[in-house]
Amino acid sequence: MASISVIETIRKQIASCESQLRDLRQQLAEAEHQHQQREQERMRQDSSIDPLTHDMSYGIHDDFRSEVFAALSHTEEDYSAPKRWPLDMSEYKRYGRQLILSGIGLQGQLRLKNASVLVIGVGGLGCPAAAYLVGAGVGTIGLVDGDIVEESNLHRQILHSTSRVGMSKVDSARVFLSSLNPNVAVVPHISRLAPESAISVVESYDMVLDCTDTPASRYLISDTCVLLGKPLISASALKLEGQLMTLNNPPLPPGDSRGGPCYRCIFPKPPPPESVLSCGDGGILGPVVGVMGVLQALEAIKVLTKDPGTLAPEHVNPEPPTLLIFNGYGNPMFRSIRLRTRKPRCAACSSQASITSEALNSGSLDYVQFCGSVSPVDALSANERISVDNYAKLRSHINPFTGMEPSKDSHILVDVREKVQFGLCSLEGSVNIPFSKVVSTSLNMSNVQTSGPQEPGWVSELKGIPDRPIFVVCRLGNDSQITVKKMKELGLDQGGQRWIGDIKGGLKAWREKVEPDFPDY
Amino acid sequence: MASGKSPLGHFSILYFAAASTFTGKSTEHLPAPVLARNLFTSLEQLYPGIVDKVLSSCAVTVNLEYIDLDGEDTPQLELMIKEGDEVAIIPPVSSG
Repeated sequence: MASISVIETIRKQIASCESQLRDLRQQLAEAEHQHQQREQERMRQDSSIDPLTHDMSYGIHDDFRSEVFAALSHTEEDYSAPKRWPLDMSEYKRYGRQLILSGIGLQGQLRLKNASVLVIGVGGLGCPAAAYLVGAGVGTIGLVDGDIVEESNLHRQILHSTSRVGMSKVDSARVFLSSLNPNVAVVPHISRLAPESAISVVESYDMVLDCTDTPASRYLISDTCVLLGKPLISASALKLEGQLMTLNNPPLPPGDSRGGPCYRCIFPKPPPPESVLSCGDGGILGPVVGVMGVLQALEAIKVLTKDPGTLAPEHVNPEPPTLLIFNGYGNPMFRSIRLRTRKPRCAACSSQASITSEALNSGSLDYVQFCGSVSPVDALSANERISVDNYAKLRSHINPFTGMEPSKDSHILVDVREKVQFGLCSLEGSVNIPFSKVVSTSLNMSNVQTSGPQEPGWVSELKGIPDRPIFVVCRLGNDSQITVKKMKELGLDQGGQRWIGDIKGGLKAWREKVEPDFPDY
Repeated sequence: MASGKSPLGHFSILYFAAASTFTGKSTEHLPAPVLARNLFTSLEQLYPGIVDKVLSSCAVTVNLEYIDLDGEDTPQLELMIKEGDEVAIIPPVSSG
């Protein structure tokens, strides 16, 4: 087993190095080509002096001649310093389709070229956002991410590729981006944004895109942007929905009520940690998060190409900021909500702000604690739990508790994953009672009578088979414990007569220790 | 999403993200009028636990406009949600 995975890893590394090498060769070729073109252009300019040289070579005194040459060469230097065309020839061609838009034009393109944007998170949002910004010719793009590319990222994180699984997301994105547009400087920051380093990382950029995936990073990035006066384009997506906001725009100092609201103004309280779902737990559709990332790039271009004159205080806030809500399966798909102005007592952007650069730099602001964290569930005692190994024995050999031979009807195996996941793969003979159903079953419905009229079907069905032990399994082994507790509270253990317990570590442990062929989704 | 006009004497309420998961609905119609300050209490009666688990961190909008319900002295607590209004419950989504 081990050696196969080692071989596989090395293969992947070779493939990824080869693709990097290919990319570097291509970049080299492009750079050489550009260099050559520039040389040729210079040669043409040099040769154009020839007739003058010819004229000056005859019948003129040497001293005078050298004086004239000196003057000429001097003016020639002055002449070449302000270039005739502000963009390179190749840039007119590359950006032609957007240059001719009235909202962009030459000034807009030059503003993009002189701008630097920090993309924090190079995942489902950051990939499309960075691709469009690099494509549009933003001068410098910084990429912040500490993760490596995984196979389960590829359906939505469009800068990465199968051959680059295992590479850092930042490096993988650089391969794609520098081959897309070699004119753009891509600056790597291969680590997660930390409070202590946030200011030093963000400082040198003009604008920030929040493409991260946790509440803690959202508050940290918003606070940093307020402290440094950077506009922030914040987006998020989960399942089939997304949100987009342009925050701290205009980025006026804390206390100036004409500045744009920050993340804390809109969402002063973080969501309860147990309600926070990751894309791994809740799921995400590629185009849904893609739409949100593309919209971030659009908002960024709008802000960057805006005439700076309109940012002067007298022009501030011609239209209030909005929160755009996207529901991929909704009708309508988009809803635009008019947001509030800065919150008068916001902890970050009001005159009473308590968040300072010093506090951030010293690391005394604990964002993870502010947002709370979920510790693994540990709700059951040892005799209410069974290991996957023992459960496997129970299924194939002898019941370790009763010493009985296995039979199909010896026990009930309840799988509490949601219906869709149960449909993907399940253990033979298991019954699906989705966790959401378990949680929403209220206690007073069932405890009073043996089978009240309001009792949900699953409770009465389990009560109908009172003698068989119940084993509860889920994906990771947390929901199963909560379910066991709930079943006992509902009286399904017949006052202790019937054994109810959970399978430790869930189907993940089952795959790791018992059945390697069980799908890992 | 079955939006559209709410029946007489009702306003419509839209649930997004975690609010939709908790209620099991994306939209419904509730009796109007309701004072903004009492909105969460009436939702708690319909969906026990929703205030702590969802609403406390949500943005609330009335007719596509954000209303501030944070703190005891915000004027929008006195806003009357009227018949035909559209209220939205918008939990922060943080993944990406």
